[in-house]
Amino acid sequence: MEIKLKCSCGEASCPEWAIIELQGVVEVQPAFQERLRNLQIGILCRPSSQENYTFTVGYHELSGSKIPMKKPLLVLKKKIIKSDMEIDQKDDDDDDLNSSRVELEVIGIIRQRILFKTRPKALITKPQSPVKKKKATASVAIVEKQT
Amino acid sequence: MTEKTDSRFTKGADAVLSIPPNSSIPIAYHPLFGPHNDLLLLELDEKLLPDVINQRVSLRGQSDEDAVLCTQSKTYAIKFVGTSNSVFLVPPSDQFSVNEEGEDPESNAASVLKVAPGTMELVEVAPRIDKLKLLLSENTYKFDEVNEIYDSGLYQWDDLTDRVQASDEELRSALRVLSAVEINGYWRIIDQKYMDRILSMLINNSLLNDWSLNALNEDEVVESLVKDGFSRVIAHHCLEVYGSKTNGESVWGLDEKRVCVHFARGILSSFGKMKMESFMEEWARKVPGGMVVSFEMLEGEVLVEKLGIQSWVYGFSVSSLPSDPANRFSRLFQERSKWDWKDLHPYIRDLSVPGLTSDGLLLKYTRRTQPTANSEPVFTAR
Repeated sequence: MEIKLKCSCGEASCPEWAIIELQGVVEVQPAFQERLRNLQIGILCRPSSQENYTFTVGYHELSGSKIPMKKPLLVLKKKIIKSDMEIDQKDDDDDDLNSSRVELEVIGIIRQRILFKTRPKALITKPQSPVKKKKATASVAIVEKQT
Repeated sequence: MTEKTDSRFTKGADAVLSIPPNSSIPIAYHPLFGPHNDLLLLELDEKLLPDVINQRVSLRGQSDEDAVLCTQSKTYAIKFVGTSNSVFLVPPSDQFSVNEEGEDPESNAASVLKVAPGTMELVEVAPRIDKLKLLLSENTYKFDEVNEIYDSGLYQWDDLTDRVQASDEELRSALRVLSAVEINGYWRIIDQKYMDRILSMLINNSLLNDWSLNALNEDEVVESLVKDGFSRVIAHHCLEVYGSKTNGESVWGLDEKRVCVHFARGILSSFGKMKMESFMEEWARKVPGGMVVSFEMLEGEVLVEKLGIQSWVYGFSVSSLPSDPANRFSRLFQERSKWDWKDLHPYIRDLSVPGLTSDGLLLKYTRRTQPTANSEPVFTAR
Protein backbone atom coordinates (compact mmCIF):
# COMPACT_ATOMS: atom_id res chain seq x y z
CA MET A 1 0.00 0.00 0.00
CA GLU A 2 0.99 3.56 -0.41
CA ILE A 3 0.37 6.25 2.18
CA LYS A 4 0.79 9.80 0.96
CA LEU A 5 2.28 12.20 3.43
CA LYS A 6 -0.12 15.09 3.40
CA CYS A 7 0.93 18.58 4.28
CA SER A 8 -1.34 21.55 4.22
CA CYS A 9 1.10 23.91 5.91
CA GLY A 10 2.22 25.51 2.70
CA GLU A 11 5.63 26.97 2.09
CA ALA A 12 7.69 27.16 5.27
CA SER A 13 4.82 27.99 7.56
CA CYS A 14 4.46 24.74 9.40
CA PRO A 15 3.19 25.40 12.95
CA GLU A 16 6.11 25.09 15.30
CA TRP A 17 5.80 22.79 18.28
CA ALA A 18 8.14 22.74 21.25
CA ILE A 19 9.82 19.99 23.22
CA ILE A 20 10.77 20.14 26.86
CA GLU A 21 13.01 17.17 27.49
CA LEU A 22 14.34 15.89 30.76
CA GLN A 23 15.99 12.78 32.11
CA GLY A 24 13.93 10.33 34.05
CA VAL A 25 10.25 10.37 34.65
CA VAL A 26 7.89 12.87 36.11
CA GLU A 27 5.54 11.05 38.37
CA VAL A 28 2.21 12.35 39.46
CA GLN A 29 1.16 11.63 42.99
CA PRO A 30 -1.57 9.00 43.13
CA ALA A 31 -4.17 11.42 44.39
CA PHE A 32 -3.86 13.41 41.17
CA GLN A 33 -3.56 10.54 38.68
CA GLU A 34 -7.15 10.96 37.57
CA ARG A 35 -7.07 14.73 37.47
CA LEU A 36 -4.25 15.59 35.13
CA ARG A 37 -6.09 18.22 33.10
CA ASN A 38 -4.36 21.52 33.60
CA LEU A 39 -2.39 20.14 36.51
CA GLN A 40 0.80 22.13 36.78
CA ILE A 41 4.00 20.18 36.20
CA GLY A 42 6.43 22.91 37.00
CA ILE A 43 7.74 26.37 36.29
CA LEU A 44 9.98 26.99 33.33
CA CYS A 45 12.21 29.96 33.96
CA ARG A 46 14.73 31.89 31.89
CA PRO A 47 16.88 33.64 34.49
CA SER A 48 19.02 35.71 32.09
CA SER A 49 19.19 36.81 28.51
CA GLN A 50 21.09 33.67 27.64
CA GLU A 51 19.30 30.57 26.42
CA ASN A 52 19.68 28.88 29.78
CA TYR A 53 16.65 27.65 31.61
CA THR A 54 15.58 26.14 34.85
CA PHE A 55 12.62 23.89 35.32
CA THR A 56 11.28 23.59 38.80
CA VAL A 57 9.25 20.47 39.42
CA GLY A 58 8.06 19.96 42.95
CA TYR A 59 11.07 20.83 45.04
CA HIS A 60 13.54 19.77 42.40
CA GLU A 61 15.25 22.19 40.11
CA LEU A 62 16.67 21.20 36.76
CA SER A 63 18.94 23.36 34.69
CA GLY A 64 19.29 23.14 30.98
CA SER A 65 19.36 25.11 27.80
CA LYS A 66 17.53 25.67 24.57
CA ILE A 67 19.22 23.90 21.68
CA PRO A 68 18.28 23.65 18.03
CA MET A 69 17.47 20.16 16.79
CA LYS A 70 20.20 18.67 14.61
CA LYS A 71 17.48 17.71 12.18
CA PRO A 72 13.92 18.98 12.37
CA LEU A 73 11.21 16.67 13.68
CA LEU A 74 7.89 16.52 11.91
CA VAL A 75 4.77 15.99 13.96
CA LEU A 76 2.60 13.56 12.01
CA LYS A 77 -0.99 12.70 12.72
CA LYS A 78 -2.20 9.30 11.67
CA LYS A 79 -5.76 9.23 10.45
CA ILE A 80 -7.56 6.02 9.74
CA ILE A 81 -10.26 6.22 7.17
CA LYS A 82 -12.53 3.24 7.45
CA SER A 83 -13.58 2.05 4.06
CA ASP A 84 -17.04 0.56 3.60
CA MET A 85 -15.87 -1.25 0.50
CA GLU A 86 -14.04 -3.92 2.41
CA ILE A 87 -16.28 -6.81 3.29
CA ASP A 88 -13.91 -9.07 5.16
CA GLN A 89 -12.85 -6.25 7.38
CA LYS A 90 -11.49 -7.15 10.75
CA ASP A 91 -11.81 -4.36 13.24
CA ASP A 92 -9.96 -5.93 16.09
CA ASP A 93 -7.04 -3.54 15.99
CA ASP A 94 -7.23 0.03 14.92
CA ASP A 95 -3.48 0.19 14.50
CA ASP A 96 -3.73 -2.43 11.81
CA LEU A 97 -2.96 -1.11 8.38
CA ASN A 98 -4.76 -3.97 6.66
CA SER A 99 -8.35 -3.10 6.32
CA SER A 100 -8.69 0.65 6.27
CA ARG A 101 -6.90 3.42 4.53
CA VAL A 102 -4.39 5.38 6.52
CA GLU A 103 -3.45 8.97 5.99
CA LEU A 104 -0.54 10.76 7.55
CA GLU A 105 -0.73 14.47 7.86
CA VAL A 106 2.04 16.82 8.84
CA ILE A 107 0.60 19.01 11.58
CA GLY A 108 3.72 20.59 12.96
CA ILE A 109 7.46 20.86 13.00
CA ILE A 110 9.90 20.90 15.88
CA ARG A 111 13.12 22.82 15.44
CA GLN A 112 14.14 23.55 19.02
CA ARG A 113 13.94 21.86 22.34
CA ILE A 114 14.72 22.86 25.84
CA LEU A 115 16.87 20.07 27.18
CA PHE A 116 17.55 19.38 30.83
CA LYS A 117 20.28 16.85 30.98
CA THR A 118 21.51 17.36 34.49
CA ARG A 119 20.34 15.62 37.57
CA PRO A 120 17.81 17.54 39.59
CA LYS A 121 18.98 19.71 42.42
CA ALA A 122 16.91 19.60 45.57
CA LEU A 123 15.59 22.95 46.67
CA ILE A 124 15.75 23.82 50.34
CA THR A 125 12.43 25.49 50.52
CA LYS A 126 9.64 23.13 49.91
CA PRO A 127 6.83 24.37 47.70
CA GLN A 128 3.59 22.50 47.88
CA SER A 129 3.20 20.75 44.59
CA PRO A 130 1.19 17.72 43.64
CA VAL A 131 3.83 16.66 41.15
CA LYS A 132 7.17 15.17 41.98
CA LYS A 133 10.10 14.29 39.84
CA LYS A 134 11.49 10.83 40.15
CA LYS A 135 14.94 10.05 38.83
CA ALA A 136 15.74 6.63 37.51
CA THR A 137 18.83 6.60 39.72
CA ALA A 138 18.09 5.80 43.31
CA SER A 139 20.27 8.50 44.82
CA VAL A 140 18.06 11.32 43.71
CA ALA A 141 14.78 9.59 44.15
CA ILE A 142 14.11 11.75 47.15
CA VAL A 143 11.21 10.42 49.08
CA GLU A 144 8.31 12.76 49.09
CA LYS A 145 5.55 10.74 50.57
CA GLN A 146 3.89 13.08 53.00
CA THR A 147 1.76 15.74 51.37
CA MET B 1 -16.04 32.75 33.02
CA THR B 2 -13.89 32.19 29.96
CA GLU B 3 -12.42 35.38 28.72
CA LYS B 4 -10.78 36.03 25.42
CA THR B 5 -7.09 35.33 25.49
CA ASP B 6 -5.23 38.56 25.77
CA SER B 7 -2.88 39.06 22.84
CA ARG B 8 -0.22 40.40 25.18
CA PHE B 9 0.18 36.90 26.50
CA THR B 10 1.53 33.95 24.62
CA LYS B 11 0.45 30.38 25.06
CA GLY B 12 1.55 26.97 23.92
CA ALA B 13 4.76 26.25 22.03
CA ASP B 14 5.29 29.94 21.33
CA ALA B 15 5.30 30.69 25.00
CA VAL B 16 7.95 28.03 25.63
CA LEU B 17 10.19 29.11 22.79
CA SER B 18 9.97 32.83 23.42
CA ILE B 19 10.22 33.26 27.15
CA PRO B 20 11.57 36.76 27.73
CA PRO B 21 14.73 36.98 29.84
CA ASN B 22 14.15 37.10 33.59
CA SER B 23 10.72 35.60 33.43
CA SER B 24 9.02 32.26 33.72
CA ILE B 25 5.96 30.39 32.62
CA PRO B 26 4.02 27.58 34.18
CA ILE B 27 4.04 24.23 32.37
CA ALA B 28 0.94 22.13 32.90
CA TYR B 29 -0.69 19.02 31.58
CA HIS B 30 -2.83 19.80 28.59
CA PRO B 31 -6.59 19.34 28.99
CA LEU B 32 -6.26 16.71 26.25
CA PHE B 33 -3.12 15.11 27.68
CA GLY B 34 -2.88 11.45 26.85
CA PRO B 35 -0.95 8.78 24.94
CA HIS B 36 -2.07 10.17 21.54
CA ASN B 37 -0.72 7.13 19.70
CA ASP B 38 -1.79 8.72 16.44
CA LEU B 39 0.84 11.43 16.86
CA LEU B 40 4.25 10.44 15.54
CA LEU B 41 7.55 12.25 15.38
CA LEU B 42 9.60 11.87 12.24
CA GLU B 43 13.17 13.10 12.11
CA LEU B 44 13.90 14.47 8.70
CA ASP B 45 16.83 15.94 6.89
CA GLU B 46 16.38 19.65 6.25
CA LYS B 47 16.90 19.00 2.54
CA LEU B 48 13.86 16.72 2.42
CA LEU B 49 11.53 19.34 3.85
CA PRO B 50 10.56 20.87 0.49
CA ASP B 51 9.55 17.40 -0.71
CA VAL B 52 7.30 17.02 2.31
CA ILE B 53 5.79 20.46 1.99
CA ASN B 54 5.04 19.89 -1.67
CA GLN B 55 3.56 16.49 -0.83
CA ARG B 56 5.98 14.46 -2.88
CA VAL B 57 6.66 11.95 -0.14
CA SER B 58 4.89 8.70 0.61
CA LEU B 59 5.22 5.60 2.72
CA ARG B 60 5.25 2.32 0.88
CA GLY B 61 5.00 -1.28 1.94
CA GLN B 62 2.66 -4.21 2.34
CA SER B 63 1.36 -5.01 5.79
CA ASP B 64 3.95 -7.74 6.27
CA GLU B 65 6.85 -5.44 5.38
CA ASP B 66 8.50 -2.64 7.31
CA ALA B 67 7.33 0.59 5.75
CA VAL B 68 9.78 2.71 3.81
CA LEU B 69 9.56 6.37 3.04
CA CYS B 70 9.98 7.37 -0.60
CA THR B 71 10.73 10.73 -2.05
CA GLN B 72 10.64 11.15 -5.82
CA SER B 73 14.12 9.70 -6.18
CA LYS B 74 15.16 7.92 -2.99
CA THR B 75 14.05 5.23 -0.57
CA TYR B 76 14.51 5.39 3.20
CA ALA B 77 14.01 2.76 5.85
CA ILE B 78 12.13 3.98 8.90
CA LYS B 79 13.63 3.16 12.26
CA PHE B 80 11.93 3.79 15.56
CA VAL B 81 14.37 5.11 18.12
CA GLY B 82 13.09 5.03 21.65
CA THR B 83 14.22 7.29 24.45
CA SER B 84 14.24 6.94 28.20
CA ASN B 85 14.03 10.69 28.62
CA SER B 86 10.74 12.39 29.19
CA VAL B 87 10.01 14.23 25.96
CA PHE B 88 7.16 16.65 26.59
CA LEU B 89 5.38 17.74 23.46
CA VAL B 90 3.93 21.21 23.54
CA PRO B 91 1.62 22.11 20.66
CA PRO B 92 1.04 25.66 19.48
CA SER B 93 -1.91 27.33 21.16
CA ASP B 94 -4.15 27.11 18.11
CA GLN B 95 -3.85 23.35 17.80
CA PHE B 96 -5.67 20.99 20.17
CA SER B 97 -7.21 24.04 21.78
CA VAL B 98 -10.13 23.62 24.10
CA ASN B 99 -12.18 26.26 25.76
CA GLU B 100 -11.00 25.72 29.26
CA GLU B 101 -12.05 27.55 32.33
CA GLY B 102 -9.09 26.61 34.39
CA GLU B 103 -6.71 28.50 32.21
CA ASP B 104 -5.80 31.99 33.17
CA PRO B 105 -5.87 34.15 30.05
CA GLU B 106 -3.92 36.85 31.83
CA SER B 107 -0.60 35.03 31.77
CA ASN B 108 1.87 33.18 29.62
CA ALA B 109 1.48 29.44 29.88
CA ALA B 110 2.07 26.24 28.01
CA SER B 111 0.79 22.75 28.32
CA VAL B 112 2.08 19.30 27.48
CA LEU B 113 -0.09 17.19 25.19
CA LYS B 114 1.92 14.00 25.14
CA VAL B 115 5.10 12.38 26.36
CA ALA B 116 6.77 11.08 23.21
CA PRO B 117 8.26 7.61 23.61
CA GLY B 118 10.74 8.21 20.80
CA THR B 119 11.13 9.32 17.24
CA MET B 120 11.26 7.78 13.81
CA GLU B 121 14.48 8.19 11.91
CA LEU B 122 15.24 7.68 8.24
CA VAL B 123 18.11 5.68 6.80
CA GLU B 124 18.65 5.73 3.08
CA VAL B 125 18.41 2.25 1.62
CA ALA B 126 18.58 0.60 -1.77
CA PRO B 127 15.17 0.12 -3.36
CA ARG B 128 13.68 -3.36 -2.99
CA ILE B 129 13.81 -4.17 -6.66
CA ASP B 130 13.82 -7.97 -6.47
CA LYS B 131 10.15 -7.84 -5.63
CA LEU B 132 9.50 -6.01 -8.90
CA LYS B 133 11.36 -8.67 -10.82
CA LEU B 134 9.31 -11.33 -9.07
CA LEU B 135 5.99 -9.62 -9.77
CA LEU B 136 6.68 -9.02 -13.44
CA SER B 137 7.97 -12.56 -13.93
CA GLU B 138 4.66 -14.02 -12.76
CA ASN B 139 3.08 -13.47 -16.11
CA THR B 140 5.44 -12.56 -18.93
CA TYR B 141 4.09 -11.45 -22.26
CA LYS B 142 4.22 -14.39 -24.64
CA PHE B 143 3.72 -14.82 -28.30
CA ASP B 144 0.50 -16.73 -28.01
CA GLU B 145 -1.11 -14.33 -25.60
CA VAL B 146 -4.65 -13.60 -26.71
CA ASN B 147 -5.24 -9.93 -26.33
CA GLU B 148 -7.83 -8.63 -23.90
CA ILE B 149 -7.78 -11.76 -21.78
CA TYR B 150 -6.22 -10.71 -18.55
CA ASP B 151 -5.64 -13.14 -15.80
CA SER B 152 -3.66 -12.74 -12.65
CA GLY B 153 -0.15 -11.44 -12.31
CA LEU B 154 -0.66 -8.18 -14.16
CA TYR B 155 0.32 -4.89 -12.67
CA GLN B 156 -0.38 -1.28 -13.48
CA TRP B 157 1.89 1.51 -12.29
CA ASP B 158 -0.20 2.09 -9.15
CA ASP B 159 -0.16 -1.60 -8.34
CA LEU B 160 3.62 -1.47 -8.49
CA THR B 161 3.96 1.57 -6.23
CA ASP B 162 1.61 -0.24 -3.84
CA ARG B 163 3.74 -3.35 -3.76
CA VAL B 164 7.33 -2.38 -4.47
CA GLN B 165 9.34 -0.45 -1.92
CA ALA B 166 11.06 1.97 -4.23
CA SER B 167 10.75 5.61 -5.16
CA ASP B 168 9.12 6.55 -8.46
CA GLU B 169 12.46 7.26 -10.11
CA GLU B 170 14.04 4.08 -8.84
CA LEU B 171 11.01 2.14 -10.00
CA ARG B 172 11.15 3.66 -13.48
CA SER B 173 14.85 2.98 -13.83
CA ALA B 174 14.38 -0.60 -12.62
CA LEU B 175 11.63 -1.10 -15.21
CA ARG B 176 14.10 0.12 -17.84
CA VAL B 177 16.80 -2.26 -16.64
CA LEU B 178 14.32 -5.12 -16.76
CA SER B 179 13.31 -4.05 -20.27
CA ALA B 180 9.71 -3.91 -19.12
CA VAL B 181 7.13 -2.26 -21.31
CA GLU B 182 3.68 -0.85 -20.63
CA ILE B 183 1.11 -2.75 -22.68
CA ASN B 184 -2.52 -1.71 -22.37
CA GLY B 185 -1.75 -0.07 -19.05
CA TYR B 186 0.06 -3.06 -17.59
CA TRP B 187 3.82 -3.28 -17.06
CA ARG B 188 5.12 -6.47 -18.62
CA ILE B 189 8.36 -8.28 -19.25
CA ILE B 190 8.40 -9.83 -22.71
CA ASP B 191 9.16 -13.51 -22.84
CA GLN B 192 12.69 -14.16 -24.09
CA LYS B 193 11.55 -16.44 -26.93
CA TYR B 194 9.13 -13.82 -28.10
CA MET B 195 11.85 -11.16 -28.10
CA ASP B 196 13.99 -13.53 -30.09
CA ARG B 197 11.26 -14.02 -32.63
CA ILE B 198 10.65 -10.31 -33.15
CA LEU B 199 14.34 -9.43 -33.27
CA SER B 200 14.97 -12.14 -35.85
CA MET B 201 12.03 -10.84 -37.85
CA LEU B 202 13.38 -7.32 -37.66
CA ILE B 203 16.81 -8.40 -38.86
CA ASN B 204 15.23 -10.53 -41.57
CA ASN B 205 13.06 -7.65 -42.79
CA SER B 206 16.06 -5.36 -42.88
CA LEU B 207 17.88 -7.90 -45.03
CA LEU B 208 14.94 -8.24 -47.42
CA ASN B 209 14.44 -4.48 -47.70
CA ASP B 210 18.12 -3.73 -47.84
CA TRP B 211 17.97 -1.50 -44.76
CA SER B 212 21.16 -0.77 -42.87
CA LEU B 213 21.05 -1.96 -39.27
CA ASN B 214 22.75 1.30 -38.36
CA ALA B 215 20.06 3.50 -39.89
CA LEU B 216 16.62 2.02 -39.46
CA ASN B 217 13.66 4.22 -40.18
CA GLU B 218 11.33 3.84 -37.22
CA ASP B 219 8.07 4.03 -39.20
CA GLU B 220 9.22 1.56 -41.85
CA VAL B 221 10.49 -0.94 -39.30
CA VAL B 222 7.43 -0.72 -37.09
CA GLU B 223 5.05 -0.98 -40.07
CA SER B 224 6.86 -4.03 -41.41
CA LEU B 225 6.67 -5.74 -38.01
CA VAL B 226 3.00 -4.86 -37.60
CA LYS B 227 2.38 -6.51 -40.98
CA ASP B 228 4.08 -9.62 -39.62
CA GLY B 229 1.60 -9.73 -36.79
CA PHE B 230 3.43 -7.94 -33.99
CA SER B 231 1.78 -5.17 -32.07
CA ARG B 232 2.96 -1.63 -32.54
CA VAL B 233 3.98 -1.34 -28.87
CA ILE B 234 6.09 -4.48 -29.01
CA ALA B 235 7.67 -3.47 -32.30
CA HIS B 236 8.67 -0.15 -30.82
CA HIS B 237 9.86 -1.84 -27.65
CA CYS B 238 12.14 -4.09 -29.74
CA LEU B 239 13.87 -0.99 -31.13
CA GLU B 240 14.26 0.39 -27.60
CA VAL B 241 15.73 -2.81 -26.23
CA TYR B 242 18.18 -3.58 -29.02
CA GLY B 243 18.85 -0.19 -30.50
CA SER B 244 19.16 3.48 -29.82
CA LYS B 245 18.14 6.57 -31.68
CA THR B 246 20.84 8.02 -33.88
CA ASN B 247 21.04 11.72 -34.61
CA GLY B 248 17.99 11.55 -36.83
CA GLU B 249 14.50 12.16 -35.48
CA SER B 250 13.20 8.65 -35.92
CA VAL B 251 16.23 6.79 -37.13
CA TRP B 252 17.47 3.90 -35.05
CA GLY B 253 20.68 1.94 -35.05
CA LEU B 254 20.88 -1.55 -33.59
CA ASP B 255 23.39 -1.84 -30.79
CA GLU B 256 26.00 -4.41 -31.73
CA LYS B 257 26.74 -5.48 -28.18
CA ARG B 258 23.12 -5.85 -27.10
CA VAL B 259 22.22 -7.81 -30.22
CA CYS B 260 25.25 -10.08 -29.92
CA VAL B 261 24.59 -10.70 -26.21
CA HIS B 262 21.02 -11.60 -27.09
CA PHE B 263 22.19 -14.31 -29.48
CA ALA B 264 24.81 -15.61 -27.06
CA ARG B 265 22.14 -16.01 -24.38
CA GLY B 266 19.92 -17.83 -26.83
CA ILE B 267 22.66 -20.29 -27.79
CA LEU B 268 23.70 -21.03 -24.22
CA SER B 269 20.15 -21.43 -23.00
CA SER B 270 19.50 -24.14 -25.59
CA PHE B 271 22.90 -25.86 -25.40
CA GLY B 272 23.80 -25.40 -21.75
CA LYS B 273 27.52 -25.78 -21.15
CA MET B 274 29.58 -25.57 -24.37
CA LYS B 275 33.18 -25.93 -25.38
CA MET B 276 34.57 -22.46 -25.90
CA GLU B 277 35.50 -23.02 -29.56
CA SER B 278 32.13 -24.46 -30.56
CA PHE B 279 30.34 -21.67 -28.75
CA MET B 280 32.36 -18.92 -30.44
CA GLU B 281 31.77 -20.54 -33.82
CA GLU B 282 28.06 -20.89 -33.28
CA TRP B 283 27.79 -17.38 -31.92
CA ALA B 284 29.60 -15.75 -34.83
CA ARG B 285 27.35 -17.71 -37.18
CA LYS B 286 24.13 -16.58 -35.45
CA VAL B 287 24.63 -12.82 -35.28
CA PRO B 288 23.51 -10.67 -38.24
CA GLY B 289 26.05 -9.98 -40.96
CA GLY B 290 28.29 -7.04 -40.27
CA MET B 291 28.28 -7.58 -36.54
CA VAL B 292 31.45 -8.87 -34.93
CA VAL B 293 31.32 -10.85 -31.73
CA SER B 294 33.93 -10.49 -29.07
CA PHE B 295 34.12 -12.40 -25.81
CA GLU B 296 34.39 -9.20 -23.76
CA MET B 297 30.77 -8.47 -24.63
CA LEU B 298 29.78 -11.31 -22.34
CA GLU B 299 31.08 -9.84 -19.08
CA GLY B 300 28.46 -10.56 -16.46
CA GLU B 301 26.68 -12.92 -18.84
CA VAL B 302 28.81 -16.07 -18.94
CA LEU B 303 31.36 -17.90 -16.85
CA VAL B 304 34.27 -19.94 -18.14
CA GLU B 305 35.26 -23.20 -16.52
CA LYS B 306 38.56 -24.93 -17.21
CA LEU B 307 38.39 -28.72 -17.31
CA GLY B 308 41.82 -30.06 -18.18
CA ILE B 309 42.95 -28.16 -21.22
CA GLN B 310 39.40 -27.49 -22.33
CA SER B 311 37.58 -24.23 -21.59
CA TRP B 312 33.85 -24.55 -21.18
CA VAL B 313 31.44 -21.66 -21.20
CA TYR B 314 27.98 -21.43 -19.69
CA GLY B 315 25.38 -18.75 -19.14
CA PHE B 316 25.32 -16.97 -15.79
CA SER B 317 23.66 -13.62 -16.19
CA VAL B 318 23.97 -10.89 -13.62
CA SER B 319 20.40 -9.88 -14.46
CA SER B 320 19.17 -13.18 -13.05
CA LEU B 321 20.83 -12.62 -9.68
CA PRO B 322 19.30 -11.05 -6.57
CA SER B 323 19.89 -7.33 -6.31
CA ASP B 324 20.38 -7.05 -2.58
CA PRO B 325 24.03 -7.55 -1.64
CA ALA B 326 23.68 -10.32 0.95
CA ASN B 327 21.70 -12.57 -1.36
CA ARG B 328 23.83 -11.61 -4.35
CA PHE B 329 27.09 -12.63 -2.68
CA SER B 330 25.60 -15.78 -1.28
CA ARG B 331 24.40 -16.76 -4.78
CA LEU B 332 27.83 -15.94 -6.23
CA PHE B 333 29.69 -18.05 -3.69
CA GLN B 334 27.22 -20.84 -4.23
CA GLU B 335 28.23 -20.78 -7.89
CA ARG B 336 31.93 -20.62 -7.16
CA SER B 337 33.77 -20.73 -3.91
CA LYS B 338 36.66 -18.58 -5.19
CA TRP B 339 36.47 -15.58 -7.45
CA ASP B 340 39.15 -13.61 -9.29
CA TRP B 341 38.57 -9.90 -9.26
CA LYS B 342 38.29 -9.93 -13.05
CA ASP B 343 35.44 -12.44 -12.92
CA LEU B 344 33.77 -11.04 -9.83
CA HIS B 345 33.65 -7.41 -10.80
CA PRO B 346 30.98 -7.67 -13.54
CA TYR B 347 28.70 -9.42 -11.06
CA ILE B 348 28.84 -6.80 -8.35
CA ARG B 349 29.39 -3.46 -10.07
CA ASP B 350 25.65 -2.80 -10.30
CA LEU B 351 25.17 -3.20 -6.55
CA SER B 352 24.60 0.02 -4.79
CA VAL B 353 24.12 0.38 -1.10
CA PRO B 354 23.74 3.91 0.22
CA GLY B 355 26.62 4.77 2.48
CA LEU B 356 28.72 1.81 1.43
CA THR B 357 31.42 1.95 -1.25
CA SER B 358 32.19 -1.05 -3.41
CA ASP B 359 35.28 -1.64 -1.28
CA GLY B 360 33.05 -1.56 1.77
CA LEU B 361 30.80 -4.15 0.15
CA LEU B 362 33.75 -6.45 -0.53
CA LEU B 363 34.97 -6.01 3.00
CA LYS B 364 31.57 -6.86 4.39
CA TYR B 365 30.74 -9.87 2.27
CA THR B 366 34.04 -11.39 1.14
CA ARG B 367 37.40 -12.47 2.43
CA ARG B 368 40.26 -11.30 0.32
CA THR B 369 43.40 -13.40 0.01
CA GLN B 370 46.54 -12.67 -1.89
CA PRO B 371 49.00 -15.56 -1.80
CA THR B 372 51.95 -13.41 -2.87
CA ALA B 373 52.36 -9.68 -3.20
CA ASN B 374 52.16 -9.65 -6.98
CA SER B 375 49.52 -12.27 -7.47
CA GLU B 376 45.90 -11.45 -8.19
CA PRO B 377 43.66 -11.27 -5.10
CA VAL B 378 41.12 -14.04 -4.65
CA PHE B 379 37.74 -13.52 -2.99
CA THR B 380 36.02 -16.16 -0.89
CA ALA B 381 32.92 -16.14 1.26
CA ARG B 382 33.06 -14.63 4.71
